[in-house]
This record gives sequence, C-alpha cells and structure tokens, in this order.
Amino acid sequence: MSTLRKIIHIDADCFYAAIEMRDDPSLIDRPFAVGGSAEGRGVLTTCNYPAREFGVHSAMPTSQAYRLCPDLVVAPVNIPKYREVSVQMHEIFEQFTDVIEPLSLDEAYLDVSDSTLFDGSASRIAEAIREQIKTEINITVSAGVSINKFLAKVASDWNKPDGQKVVTPDEVDAFTAALEVRAIPGVGPVTAEKLKRMGFQKCTDLRNAEARVLKRRFGSFAQTLIERAHGRDNRPVNTSRIRKSLSVEHTYTQDLKNGQPCFDKLPGLLDELRGRIDKGKLAPRIQKAYVKIKFSDFSTTTVERVGTAATLTDYQELLADGLARRDLPVRLLGLGVRLSPDFPEHFEQLPLRMEHDDY
Amino acid sequence: MKFSISREALIKPLNLVAGVVERRQTLPILSNVLLNLEGTQLSLTGTDLEVELIGRVEVEAGGVDGDITVPARKLVDICKSLPDSSQIEFSVDSGKAMVKAGRGRFTLSTLPATEFPSVDESAGDQTLEVAQSVVKRLIDRTAFAMAQQDVRYYLNGMLLELKAGRLRMVATDGHRLALCTANEAVSTGDAAIIIPRKGVLELSRLLDTDESIRLVIGSNHIRAANQQFTFTSKLVDGKFPEYERVLPKSADKTVIGQRLELRQAFTRTAILSNEKYRGVRLKLSADTLDITANNPEQEQAEEVVAVEYQGEELEVGFNVSYLLDVLSVLDGDQIRLSLSDSASSALLEEADEGDSLYVVMPMRL
Repeated sequence: MSTLRKIIHIDADCFYAAIEMRDDPSLIDRPFAVGGSAEGRGVLTTCNYPAREFGVHSAMPTSQAYRLCPDLVVAPVNIPKYREVSVQMHEIFEQFTDVIEPLSLDEAYLDVSDSTLFDGSASRIAEAIREQIKTEINITVSAGVSINKFLAKVASDWNKPDGQKVVTPDEVDAFTAALEVRAIPGVGPVTAEKLKRMGFQKCTDLRNAEARVLKRRFGSFAQTLIERAHGRDNRPVNTSRIRKSLSVEHTYTQDLKNGQPCFDKLPGLLDELRGRIDKGKLAPRIQKAYVKIKFSDFSTTTVERVGTAATLTDYQELLADGLARRDLPVRLLGLGVRLSPDFPEHFEQLPLRMEHDDY
Repeated sequence: MKFSISREALIKPLNLVAGVVERRQTLPILSNVLLNLEGTQLSLTGTDLEVELIGRVEVEAGGVDGDITVPARKLVDICKSLPDSSQIEFSVDSGKAMVKAGRGRFTLSTLPATEFPSVDESAGDQTLEVAQSVVKRLIDRTAFAMAQQDVRYYLNGMLLELKAGRLRMVATDGHRLALCTANEAVSTGDAAIIIPRKGVLELSRLLDTDESIRLVIGSNHIRAANQQFTFTSKLVDGKFPEYERVLPKSADKTVIGQRLELRQAFTRTAILSNEKYRGVRLKLSADTLDITANNPEQEQAEEVVAVEYQGEELEVGFNVSYLLDVLSVLDGDQIRLSLSDSASSALLEEADEGDSLYVVMPMRL
C-alpha cells in the first residue's frame, strides 16, 4: 500500500447500557447494567461507568455483580432495539463514506482515504460523525483515527468515553513502540504472559525479537506480531454489506425560511447526491427518492416517492409536500434515494413497435 | 418388400428423415418412418403432420418393391451402431421387418404404409429454382430471431417474401428483428408466407451445397425438392408484422466499430451481467464506446472500445445476448450501429454494403 490510508474506528460507549439510559434517564447516575438475570445464571453484557466503580465489568456473572454492588440495576438485553440504533449509526456513517466494515452492532471501521469532506481531514470527519450520533441518536461514541485498522482500533480506546484520538503518520512509530503487547488484537492474557516471560512486554521489545524465535513459539501469528509491533496493518476495510440507501444532508447555520430559500438549496444537494450515485454506479438500483426535512423545533419529516429517476423535479415536488407539513423554518435538508438490493424491473426489455400491438 | 444397401448410403437420408420425427407422439405411426421401394429407388418419409421429409437413395438391383413403416428411432440407432461399410439386408415377412447385417439380426415391429399420413397439399402457386446456398444464407442470418412458443403464433416462424423478383426472409420475436435479402434476383410473382419454426430449422439442415433447389409455394404449404429429398412444410396461417415499419428511420447517431473486437468485449462483459436480464449499458462519447455490466452480486465488468463516433453523448441499455446474436452472424471487419435515443430501436448492419439488417430494441436500465 503505497499511499497512506485514513481509517476511522468508531466504538460506541457502553452501547447497550447507553441506549437503556437514553430511554430511561433515571438510570444514568445509578450503577446499571444490561445482561441476563442472576437466577438464570446470566452474565452482564454491558455496564455503565458508575457500575464500573464497583468493579463490575462486562462478561461478569450477574450474581457476582450483585455481590459487588447490591444496588445494581440490571435490564434485560433487547437486541432488536440495539439493532435499530445500529442501523441509525450506519446511516450516519454512510453520509461520510461508502467503505464501511461493521464489526458488531456498535463498532465499525470506516475508510475515508478518498473523502473530500472537511478538506479530507479524517480527524474532522470523525468529530462530525460523533457529533451527529450524539445529536441524532443521543448516545456517545469514541473514535480512533489513524493509517490502518490496528492503530485506529487501539486509538478509539484511548480517550473513551466520548472522546477521540488521532495517531498521525509521524506519531505511528513512537505510539506503537510504547504500546503493551497486550494491545495487539489476538494477544490475550496467556499469550501476553508467554511474551512477557520471553522478555517482550512492549511493542518496542517485540521489534528487536528474532523472527525465528517468535515463529517457533507462535507459528503463523508471529508475522502478525512483528507487523503490529511496527504499527503496520495492511488489511483493507471490507465492505460486504449491500447498500440500501444513499443520502446527503446539510444542517444550515441559520434556519432557512420555509419556502423558496429551501428550493434554492436543492440543485447543490442534488449535485452532491448525483456525484455519489455515479461514483457507486447505483443509478440502476434506485427505487425511491426521498426528502428529509428537520424543522426549527427539531421535528423531522420524510417524504418518499417510488418509481423515480431521482430528478430535480421529483425532489422539488417532494420538498413542496414536506414543507407544507409544518409552518416552521427549516434547520436541515436531506436528499436521498432508496436502493433495491437487486436489479429487478429496472431491466425492462422494450418491445419493437409493430402494428399488431397498436390496437 | 426386400432390398440391400450399404450402411453409409442408408444412414444419411435416414438421419435427415428421422430428424423430423418427434420423440413423443400422440399417434403411434408418427414415430415410424415410411420405407417405399420402386425398382432401385428407396424413399424414406418422416412426418409430424406439420413438416414432412422424403429422402431418396438408390439401392442395389434385385430387390422386391413394396412399402412398410418401422420405428424410426430404433432403425436409426441400429444402423448407426453397425460397423462401417456394413451391408444391410432389409426384408418384410408376415408383419415383421428384418434387418440383417453381418451376423446381426434385428426384428422390428411394423405398421402398414396405408395408415401413414401425408401432409395435405394445396396447388402450387409459385415455383422458383434457387441455389441451396442462397436459401441457407437467408435462414442462417435470420433464424435466431424467431420467437419460440410466443402467444403471437405468427412470430414462431419466419417470413419468406417474394416481391418484385427479390427473395427475402424476416424473423422477429417482438424485441429484435432480423432481415436478409438474397442478392440474386428470382423470376416469380409476389408472395409472403410464414414458415413455422420447426420447418425453418429442418430445411436449414437439408441445405448443404451450391446446387439448386426447387421451391414450390402454395397457399398453405411450401415445398423444397431436388433429387435427394422433398421437404414439405405447412405454413403458419397469420399475418406477419409489417416489418418495414419497425426499421428505424430517425437513427441519426452512427457508430462504426470492429466487429470482432466488439463481439469479444460484449462476450466478456456479459459474464458479469444479470443472468436473467442480461442487460449491459453502452455509453457513447467521442470515438469511444464504454460497455458496463453489473449483477446482483455487485460484480461489475467494464470494457472500453475505440469506435468511430462523432454524435452527442448517449447512454443506452441492451440485452447483450441480442447484440451477440447479431455480431455472431454478421461477417466483414466493420459493423455499423445506428441509434437515435435510449428508448428507440437500434439498427445493426455490416458497415460495407450488406444484405442483412438487424433491429434491436433497448432495455430500460
């Protein structure tokens, strides 16, 4: 990989717990966790920071957590709800890049190497994503920004919660050298202990290790150890997901008057949307066009239309419908398309016009 | 009835005739072949009531005249499996047919020749002599565009048109159309008939020389005959679309391209087109044709081909199979593609004076 990549790792803070606290703010200041019940020999999946002060942590049996913290409130796991939030997060990611690799419901790698947003500043893109998640979903995420997946992931943990850390190309060497070997994904307590006994506690120690020795001890993992110890990781961000929608939106610094000023913004937004449709060659999959409007009171409305080529006329009509719903100034405008997973009726073979068909 | 013939002499007409015989028949006798001996001339007849084929071959002297029907497929299989240069002795005795070759003996069931149906024939209206190669070319260049089992039954066949001394064949399935006109003039009156799909394909198999063939066109049949065979097909009773109205007239954008290069580029992009719809996207800009295909697996093919094109930019979709069919039957180094817009028919032809025209409707992408 000759050119430097810009990778962002996004990791939500106590994801399950954060969603439950969002929906029930009374939980925020109390020790709280999400997980299975003590009777059912359940374990905790996530806990908030007050709970952590009692030594409670995720993967701990719920019964044990109660012993440490008798006042702990435990809510059952509600995966469908978390999945919904995960989809919302993903929709936000998609406004910034197409190259997204979800790792779990609350974690994803984003490759923004080709992005021109914020003058190509990955750090500012990460800030914008975090800000948008905070205002739209009302949970916090942390971000790590660097030149590969390994460093981005390590960095996202650095200023948790609700923080971000950038490891610039210049800093990579020093940053990695000081890392404990335990920070390398794949190095668990056992491997860390083995490495420690061999005299390797930090990545800088590993750099001086003889490859032969490591190979004998760790087999094929040795190569990864050496690579990571130098801060190297060539794995691409794998996007396997099929895109379901594509949108661009803009929050205006000053609310727009409900009317012509909104229509004036359409051509610019559409240009941006078109550019992204063309880049992804998504035009054949367009099923619906939609307009999203957020009014000054933060209420949001979406107007959709099927069977469209997503033209300016379509969006003008959709916008008119949407604006008519509230007599309020507009804070945010978004244009989008919903995409079909396949190319169904879009391949329509036209018939020859023969006189037999005329009547 | 009795005759003797070499395996090689019998197998050729027998194969042709058996081709007409459908494997699955409602009438048992239709799976039989009719054998008729008069002097030294053996005639073999197969029919499916729509298409009838009589093949003729000379047998050695000393036979006994007569006629009989035997199972076509079995007789073909027996003769095929015999060693080369086998001499076949055929005889009929008390309702059974006997095939003897070397030390092999095969006894076949028979049905009386009197029960064998013949295709009803109307009087011939037009007769013309034409080289087999001419008819063969007309069929080869157009047959692929015939419809198959279309409810518009008149499309499940091919138009043969005689007009002002010119012989022409046209086929269309409603999405594309193929037209080829014979260069040689014929002296005959006008006629326009539709030969059913099977008749076209069987006739094409018969034609393999430059020798002439006599075509007789009646009101409900067509016959093609020479020394070796007589082919008769019923006609499709219907009105073929007025194909001239389908030919694009306002196609003002002209592309000239290398036929083989285009064919290869389309063949490659087709691999990643949607298997069901086979759509490819053609993007035309100055002297460049950009061909792309996508499939539901999100795979993509793109080929950029240099062409002669000076019109405005145009993007149009096609079923790549339709384009490949045309590029496969055309010859000559260069082809011309004429278009007007992404929703109107395109015309394909040889860039130099050709005898064939192809119309293909686009796909809406």
